[in-house]
Amino acid sequence: MRWRRAVPYAVGAALAATFPLFSGMYTQQVAVTVLIYMTLALSWDMLLRSGQLGFGTAGFFGVGSYAAVLLFLHTGVPALVSILFAGAVAGVIAALVGLAVLRLRGMYFAITTLALAGIFAVVVRNIPSLTGGPEGMMLPSCIFSGDTTKVYWLVLGMAVLTILVSEVFERTRLHFALTSIRNDERVAKSSGIGVYGVLVLVFAITSAIQGVAGGMYAHVFGFISPEGSFHANFLLLPLAMALLGGIHSTWGPIVGALALGVLAEYLKLEIPYGHLLVYGGIIVVVTLFLPQGVYGAARVRLRGSRLGGSR
Amino acid sequence: MALVRRLGRTGIFVVLAAVVLLALLAVWKPYVVIEGIQRGGLYALIALPMALILGIVGIINLAHGEFMMLGAYFAYWLSVYTGMDPLVAMLPALAVFALLGVATYLLTIRRALKAPELNQLLLTFGLAMMASQFANLMWTSRPLKPHLSYVYSSMRLGSLTFGTYAFVYTAGAIALLVGLLLFLKRTRVGKAALAVGQNPRGARLVGIDVNRTYLVIFSLSIALVGAIGALFLTRHSVFPSVGSPFTMKSFCLIAMAGIGNLSGVVWGGFGLGIAEAFVLSFRGYGGWADVVFFAVLVAVIMGRSYRRRTA
Repeated sequence: MRWRRAVPYAVGAALAATFPLFSGMYTQQVAVTVLIYMTLALSWDMLLRSGQLGFGTAGFFGVGSYAAVLLFLHTGVPALVSILFAGAVAGVIAALVGLAVLRLRGMYFAITTLALAGIFAVVVRNIPSLTGGPEGMMLPSCIFSGDTTKVYWLVLGMAVLTILVSEVFERTRLHFALTSIRNDERVAKSSGIGVYGVLVLVFAITSAIQGVAGGMYAHVFGFISPEGSFHANFLLLPLAMALLGGIHSTWGPIVGALALGVLAEYLKLEIPYGHLLVYGGIIVVVTLFLPQGVYGAARVRLRGSRLGGSR
Repeated sequence: MALVRRLGRTGIFVVLAAVVLLALLAVWKPYVVIEGIQRGGLYALIALPMALILGIVGIINLAHGEFMMLGAYFAYWLSVYTGMDPLVAMLPALAVFALLGVATYLLTIRRALKAPELNQLLLTFGLAMMASQFANLMWTSRPLKPHLSYVYSSMRLGSLTFGTYAFVYTAGAIALLVGLLLFLKRTRVGKAALAVGQNPRGARLVGIDVNRTYLVIFSLSIALVGAIGALFLTRHSVFPSVGSPFTMKSFCLIAMAGIGNLSGVVWGGFGLGIAEAFVLSFRGYGGWADVVFFAVLVAVIMGRSYRRRTA
């Protein structure tokens, strides 16, 4: 029976891997964007599993963008190395900042991380000699000289790695630690979980993923600027995707990212300037009426019917 | 004398130190103090309604600055179509935003009162995004500002020349503080609201309609912040993302003062305003002023959390 359960995954993986063979450049470009947002959505959800609502996604994304581009321009290392470096920088900054802000809970943590993105943007804007200031910087050429098929596979690799990390979070002891912290921190502490350490670790890992995504994005589009790289979209879209799909799971954010990513392309054509209004609406409606998200609700429904059938 | 008795010995030293520091600063950089009091007045003015919601309804409204932004747009279009001065437009804004507050409360906030804090944060974040994207869709991201001659009034005091109009924010903040305190301490509805803020269950037991109190306080705050948006427009231009820094600065002030401490918000506002003006007064480093509030926020919250731990 085990192999049968693996069939959908295998089909999905095969479809994802061979996607460029039967699609044009435009669809591939859309897929690249969707995969980057999916990575962000997953990393945001991974922190949420510990009960900490972080709004720092856009901030670490921007830090990653800048770290990758700056290292690439100043030392001339391969683009891939600079992307990994971006993850490392974002992770280290998150760990250092986390040592302080992870003492905070609830709204204090949420707002402090929200403010972080603004702070990073201000810092970047005020060191023009290094970062190009408000105008930002251009890369001489995009990664792989803009070959969308290669870019697609690269970004797919990042998304798959993130999915694997998320599954590690779900299936190891870390899962119990995170769930227990989310449910009741005092109980978690008294069962011997080093709450603070676990949170700093998770915050650093998820921020590193966001940094890698930022570095990737910068290399794909070849441009960084304080407004663009720290844009609220890199917080708003992943949040809406993860919420719509269903939080506290690996598959929820994936489902949400696929659904909203495709919808976004359509909406962009219909309402070019205000399509993000729909995302705000999705966040509001989902939090109010469907807190488990689409995937979560479907899972509950399925499990219910399966239980009902076996009885 | 009552003030002295209430402060206690350490309190007197703090106040004296602050006064001495302020006097030194006024001699060294008089413009910093003037500008700081004007800025701080605006911060305090905007933060007060948010403090009211947080203190009594217990919800952190991340869409606070966005409601102010909508209020400013309301006043702008009213001045364009009817020629109404933004100062006069505060009155219709009060009425319209009271209705908007009622609608927001009944449609969304009411359903999230019992939900976990994370959901409330997500909900109001979604509302904030909806508001700013709505503004973006309707009126694009171009800054708008009516031309008003009276805001350029200035005054000479010895060798100092400075604009006097911005003191309207300082006066407004103090007037609003006094008004709110009188409302909460002297009127029936206000006393009921205070009781609800302290203990909703206890308030219900003594026969206070808790839900109606929440509705009244929430709509009152939104009405106030809408009118403040009109006042804001007299000196500043309005664009879709103008509100979000004020949300964070307001939260910073509330965290600094402690939830439920309205007069602390005003003092904190002046402190923050003067600190920002101080940073702005150094040529070439003015861009860093936006970081000040974050440093203050982190320092204050950290300080509080450590004090709680040692106590």
